[in-house]
Amino acid sequence: MRSNDVLGFIFAGTLDEKIPELAASRTTASVPIGGKYRLIDFVLSNMSNSGINNVGIVAKSNFLSLTDHVGSGSAYDLSKRRSNLTLLTPYGGKTFSNFVETVYNMHGYIEHCREEYVLIEQGNVVTNFDYNALFDFHSKNNADVTLIYKKGVIPAGYDRPVTLDVDADGKVQQVFVKPENTAEEANFMYGAMLIRKELLMTEIRRALSLNQLDIKRVIQDSVGPLRVFAFENKGYTAFISSINSYFDFNMDLMKREVRDELFNPKRPIYTKVRDDAPSRYGLESSVKNSIIAQGCVIDGEVENCVISKGVYVGKGAKLSNCIIMQDTKIGANTNLNYVIIDKDVEIQDGRSLMGFDSYPIYIAKKSVV
Amino acid sequence: MQMFPKQEVVAMLLAGGQDSRLGVLTKKLAKPAVPFGGKYRIIDFPLSNCVNSGVEAVGILTQYQPLILNEYIGNGQPWDLDGMHSGVNCLSPYQAIKGADWYSGTANAIYQNINYIERYDPDYVVILSGDHIYKMDYNKMLEYHKEKNAACTIAVIDVPLEEASRFGILNTYEDGAIYEFDEKPEHPKSTNASMGLYIFSWKELRKYLTEDEAKEGSSHDFGKDVLPTMLAAGERMFAYPFEGYWKDVGTIDSLWEANMDLLDPNVTLDLKDIYSRNPMMPPHYVAPSANIQNSLVADGCNVEGDLEFSILFSGVTVGKGAVVNSSIIMPGAVIEEGACVQFAIVAENTVIGKNAKVGQRPEEVENRDEWGIAVIGENSKVADGAFVPAKVMIDTDTEVAAE
Repeated sequence: MRSNDVLGFIFAGTLDEKIPELAASRTTASVPIGGKYRLIDFVLSNMSNSGINNVGIVAKSNFLSLTDHVGSGSAYDLSKRRSNLTLLTPYGGKTFSNFVETVYNMHGYIEHCREEYVLIEQGNVVTNFDYNALFDFHSKNNADVTLIYKKGVIPAGYDRPVTLDVDADGKVQQVFVKPENTAEEANFMYGAMLIRKELLMTEIRRALSLNQLDIKRVIQDSVGPLRVFAFENKGYTAFISSINSYFDFNMDLMKREVRDELFNPKRPIYTKVRDDAPSRYGLESSVKNSIIAQGCVIDGEVENCVISKGVYVGKGAKLSNCIIMQDTKIGANTNLNYVIIDKDVEIQDGRSLMGFDSYPIYIAKKSVV
Repeated sequence: MQMFPKQEVVAMLLAGGQDSRLGVLTKKLAKPAVPFGGKYRIIDFPLSNCVNSGVEAVGILTQYQPLILNEYIGNGQPWDLDGMHSGVNCLSPYQAIKGADWYSGTANAIYQNINYIERYDPDYVVILSGDHIYKMDYNKMLEYHKEKNAACTIAVIDVPLEEASRFGILNTYEDGAIYEFDEKPEHPKSTNASMGLYIFSWKELRKYLTEDEAKEGSSHDFGKDVLPTMLAAGERMFAYPFEGYWKDVGTIDSLWEANMDLLDPNVTLDLKDIYSRNPMMPPHYVAPSANIQNSLVADGCNVEGDLEFSILFSGVTVGKGAVVNSSIIMPGAVIEEGACVQFAIVAENTVIGKNAKVGQRPEEVENRDEWGIAVIGENSKVADGAFVPAKVMIDTDTEVAAE
């Protein structure tokens, strides 16, 4: 299988309801993360770096910020004569409420694309993954479907997680939905799969005719009749499925091994470019163990923080364990601990805000504190 | 010849001259491509000025070491200079029916590209140079040019009297009309220094370029030939006073100073609306062991040591216990643990080994005349524990061994 035979199909907002604060004004895929990125940058860059050059993004609601961010796709090299990025939004009153109906409603687009395979991905996954290994695995096993899974404890926030029983050859023996013991290590399937386009549409039409709208059930039923395989993602992976997992991922960026793996220069993570100047540190600044994007002016003390582009930190401000999104202004002599601050917020001079590591507090976009 | 939609103004940027004053920094690239200010190259300033002034057609005259510059400019997209019938073009010397010529002077470079200019049928041509750091609205200067009904307007900046003898000085009447050019005068009559930035009415410029080309013994240079000829012929030539930050960064000292000016809160130059190509790198990381004061840091850096009054370009690593003071560290350079870099310019992809020492503070040198900025050329390596004294310039791709 050649990677240009694969259509990338990304669900942008599967877990919107799990991060209601962050996704209040945007879809999960466009949540700002890691100082200069939006969540979808990771999966889009992975697809582009793996040679996939046709990508559709399904966005069911709140997609303005996503549209603004991905634009024509040129930042990901997906806007050329032979590459394309399409935003798929609801039309004609058709619902996008579940996977089966959504894919069916997109059949016009999917069938029109010339690619033979479809790679389904989720917009809430942070990883640096080379899909070519997956394509090889799929071809070698002559698989009908290959599911991608992650070994480990099931992340919080997934109401009906799917786990897999996989044999030594990678063949799926059994699919569990909402397994009883979720604390144990399991092969967690997060909604990414590779399948021949024609087979996908056949299965979706059959499910609809049986009024089976639950994709998890459809996958369960396909083990046996179809050759269902599973491929392990062995790299660093974060699932943004709760405000805590959002916080934890940002803090993981302080670890060198995480940064080195995610930001592998051979497989860069692309994002929309903004012309920010390099960040400027003032005479009285003190910054420790933090990630700082460009365009910032830092005159205060910052420790264990992720500071996004264009943020201003005033004199005498003390920030610990915070995530500050773009263009927010932190006034002088403020004291912030375990706070997630959305973009364009103003924290006025002298304010104090305290969360806790298990409960970071969140300040909404454009607030004035 | 195919004509494009008319452009009132075409800008021509002189970027091809060979100039040895920046030494190893321009060994492999043209001066306008020299990195500046933590993420820019010098040419970003005139190019951004063009776009911000609404000039949509820009020709860049390249000749000396054009590879990096050509690659950097590319299709002009980062500056919005990628229009369907306008935008930026790198214009190198070429072969024609009658033979092939290098650009023999600034005026000759423009003369050889008359075809490029005429496609746009412009009324005015702006001549820019690629070694100045400033922000300017060329429209205001054009308005002045029109108001004075001038054939040529030259931008000038007020310099201190004691420095005036380093510049080309323009002596003018009260209304701004120029009556004399005074190149590096011993006893300057005024403090109006030419910024090397001209607006010409195209018809007049075309005439004088053609005449100058035919003139024997001419060096085909704007300053030496074309401008004096125009003045002698009685053309209306005016000086346009520019107020704001402006710096010629043609020497190691002035390049270093202009970078340091970015750290000075009293300097009026800000980097807003200066566009550049952005390398795809993650935000920078500052380790628990780092101390950063009064510095600029770009994306992709990893800082574990101490920074003071310094500028780090993208992807620079500063190891634990290393000290970087009053220095400029260009993209991809690595300052290893315990190294000390002071009053230095370290070019791209250079490695400063463990406990090595590069540059010296002025007070460390007995004879002040021997003090200066130390420079390490690109892709060089300063071995662990080695010492590079003040004012020393290390070539590109060189290894400096410890004593």
